[in-house]
Amino acid sequence: MKIFGPNELLEAVINKNLCIGCGACIHLCPYFRSYKGKTAMLFPCTLEEGRCFAYCPKIEVDLDELSQQYFGRSYEGGPLGNYLSIHTAQAGPKVKKASFQAGGTVSALMSFALAKGYIDAAVLTDKEGILPVPRVITDADEVLTCSSSKYSASPTLSALNQAMTDEYTKIGVVATPCQVLSVAQMRMNPLEKEDFVDSVALVVGLFCTWAIDFRTFAPFISERVDITTITKVDIPPPPSEIMEVYMGEEKIEIPLNEIRELVPETCSYCIDMTSEFSDISVGVLEGRPDMNTLIIRTDRGQKIVNEAVQEGYLVIEDIPEENLEHLMWAAGNKKKRAFAKAKEEGMINAEEDKKSYLRLQPKTVKEITG
Amino acid sequence: MSALLDKKEGAEHLLMGNEAIARGALEAGVKVAAGYPGTPSSEIIESLAGVAKDANIYVEWSVNEKLAMEVAAAASFAELRSLCVMKQNGVNVASDFLLHLAGSGTRGGMVLVPCDDPGALSSINEGESRFFARTVEIPLLEPGDFQEAKDMTKWAFELSEELKQLIMLRSVTRLSHASGNVRFGTLPTGEAKARFRCDGFILDPDEGIVISAPVDYKHGQQHEKLKRAKEIFEDSPFNTYEGPEKPELLIITSSACTLYSREAISILGLKERVGLLKLGTTWPLPPKLLTRYLSLAEKILIVEEVLPFLEENVKVIAAETASEIGIKKFYGKNDGTIPMVGELNPDYVINAITKILEIEYLPRPEEYAAKTQGLAFFGAPQRELIFCPGCPHRASFWSIHNALELDGRKGFVCGDIGCYTMALLPTGFTTLKTVHAMGSGSGLASGFGKLGQFGLDQPVLAVCGDSTFFHTAIPALINARHHKSDFTLVVLDNSGTAMTGFQPHPGLEVNAMGDNVPDLDIAEICRSMGARVEIRDPFELEETRATLNNLMEDNEGLKVLILRQICGLSPEKKAGKKYEMAINEEICLGENCGCNRVCTRIFRCPGLVWDKEKQVTRLDEVICTGCGVCADICPAGAITRKEAV
Repeated sequence: MKIFGPNELLEAVINKNLCIGCGACIHLCPYFRSYKGKTAMLFPCTLEEGRCFAYCPKIEVDLDELSQQYFGRSYEGGPLGNYLSIHTAQAGPKVKKASFQAGGTVSALMSFALAKGYIDAAVLTDKEGILPVPRVITDADEVLTCSSSKYSASPTLSALNQAMTDEYTKIGVVATPCQVLSVAQMRMNPLEKEDFVDSVALVVGLFCTWAIDFRTFAPFISERVDITTITKVDIPPPPSEIMEVYMGEEKIEIPLNEIRELVPETCSYCIDMTSEFSDISVGVLEGRPDMNTLIIRTDRGQKIVNEAVQEGYLVIEDIPEENLEHLMWAAGNKKKRAFAKAKEEGMINAEEDKKSYLRLQPKTVKEITG
Repeated sequence: MSALLDKKEGAEHLLMGNEAIARGALEAGVKVAAGYPGTPSSEIIESLAGVAKDANIYVEWSVNEKLAMEVAAAASFAELRSLCVMKQNGVNVASDFLLHLAGSGTRGGMVLVPCDDPGALSSINEGESRFFARTVEIPLLEPGDFQEAKDMTKWAFELSEELKQLIMLRSVTRLSHASGNVRFGTLPTGEAKARFRCDGFILDPDEGIVISAPVDYKHGQQHEKLKRAKEIFEDSPFNTYEGPEKPELLIITSSACTLYSREAISILGLKERVGLLKLGTTWPLPPKLLTRYLSLAEKILIVEEVLPFLEENVKVIAAETASEIGIKKFYGKNDGTIPMVGELNPDYVINAITKILEIEYLPRPEEYAAKTQGLAFFGAPQRELIFCPGCPHRASFWSIHNALELDGRKGFVCGDIGCYTMALLPTGFTTLKTVHAMGSGSGLASGFGKLGQFGLDQPVLAVCGDSTFFHTAIPALINARHHKSDFTLVVLDNSGTAMTGFQPHPGLEVNAMGDNVPDLDIAEICRSMGARVEIRDPFELEETRATLNNLMEDNEGLKVLILRQICGLSPEKKAGKKYEMAINEEICLGENCGCNRVCTRIFRCPGLVWDKEKQVTRLDEVICTGCGVCADICPAGAITRKEAV
């Protein structure tokens, strides 16, 4: 892993509009802060190496190194990454009904992990209006307050950094693929600090094809509805091509094509749809608005899912072949497109003296891009 | 009792130039004095305010220089002697009234004292007030030392009454702020009665209406007054010559440059070769006197600061009398012998003389010069302009800077005149992007705030101090509100005209003389204009920042954020600390990732000191004012505060 400092981060990521605002560099120091979806560097910092750069999922991500660390093998470029098994899932009878989206699997898993002490803090994303707001939750019942989906990029990892500062030792985090990539880098102790402890006990990754830039989304929505009256935003699973914006009982539908205009450029470089470096990944299930797709990737993920099922927090079933095929197709497409774009722009395996977005075996790049 | 009121004739006192001017005014029996604070002029009004009660005079800090001149002029119209005082650029503020006052003439003796700041030691300009005297056609006097500062001020009132015209008496920093012995004259006794006679024949200068029209008549009268001034100046004791009968070189100078020139001649030992004509009456120049002295030498050096005012005026006389005095070789600013910018000193004059007379002279041995330069470069600590310990402006600009960075739309701040002008520099996180005249920050913001129509999508901010708010920001705010301009004004209210020494302003309950007076509430004034107004304590960093972000996101018209926190140096505050601060060196992250010395590298309150040896921040308890703000800056919680007992 090549590590530089904040100035390089500013130059290679923030100034090039590649920052998605994941929050990985927030609450580490006084210099980076997030405000309404955007990461800003308040003052110059002169350090040649910093956690801000090391944690950033948009620069110098060594996929082989990460894959070796978490899965014991080089990055192979499969559409869904490494996994143990894939299921359909929904919240079980032990979970209180809430306004969660799809099957409520994420809320069920985090409530369970907190209730059973697998984690002592859950890093989740709440919302104020339509602005996603990171939260550190320690009470299992409170998990449900963060249950709904957010479609704007959120600096959730700032809450993870905060939880670490507050010395929680078993932290669970629910994160998007870019954030999961960052968490994977954090857990490697990239600055080789002597007192480092990996306090992340559970990573639940979300499926994500893109996020919306809050700074453009807010005025976009304001033109259509009174932003203060919005109660919920939903994008039902394919094949529906709409975003639903609820104001209590009322609802408007916005074609996804219009929403895609608000997606920041940086999402088009993202190679990961299913949070490949998580313990467990969760997403929608095509054609089933009431259920989720569940990917179990690690042993500790497997253990938590098994127990959650046994204790009635979660109900899982085998995933239908057709759904799996479509998931692989969609994830593979995203990966292939992003690799092709990044490669064309010289952002993969850049020469030694240049900063590179990704580093991995050249043959794998070839296999993915064809 | 102040020395300024010493009644003993012939008593000698060590006085600052500004105090000497004040004494001169007192000896002249001044009744009304008004000014606006501005370095290097402020001590004149302050000195008079200090003795106002005992001397039974009226002294005020007016809201701006135009008001000061109007207040003083009213006294003159009512047959009282009056003084108005300002720094150089203040004359620009007053100049519209000045033009008309010069046209209408005065009654009671009235003197305008501008104190210029060559080299801009305490200014952001090197404005010249002397040209105003020529432009508006009033007599100009320039004292050359401290005794003259007193004597010429007194005489200026008499001259004003003789001519029925305003007199400008110009000082400069080195005269106003240096001190010298001054021998006192008598203080007048007896009362003066104010009355404004305006029922006589309309053109009567003593009983008619006071106006600069009919212009051709009044303008003609003005020229008669100047003609008379010239005649008087021919015999003025304030124009002196020292030197040989036939000098090789004649230096013509005025003001503080007299001292530099005299010193240069003395150092070079050229008293037998160089003559010095020191002029105290510099506009209009007395032509006969000039002709007489110009005749003495072939080479003429004119020594003056900033612009070639004297030089041009002397050259006109030389051209007009060329047949009589012959062809002269002039040295000065136009040929580059004397620099056109900056303050002079004896070395500049020495260089000029040695060049003209082709004399070898080395002010310092080369070896010594090289050694001092080396020592200065490597040995002297860097001393940049910086806000004081505990200054509310540091906290305010921290929040303004952060709000702008978080907002991310490349918003900018139009600056104004005060200590906070230093926010152009790293001490204020280089937050200000424009600085011009008093009140211009708000005026520029009013203009920027209308450029949305042409695609300007950056948030517009302005700052001004509490005194600047009253001085000229108010019309800008009215303009902005009326024209629906979008911007946010941050009023940095530190409860006084802090930069110039805590002079009161209309926002305070006290006036220059210490009387209790009604205070005007900045927030209420802004609300009455229809502005959205918020008030915060700048020491509450996060609250201030959040409020500012909120205001910047409100695209509807004029917003005002008043940041109230009294200046750390103010007499009220000096007494005690709110917090006792402490630094836990064990917790301090120093230069490590996670801090990298944010307190001593970025925030840089002088109360925090970087200990290079230990690689931690230390507290300088002697200068810490206990404001508590750094505890909120420290990311590690190493800096802590507890309420002081």
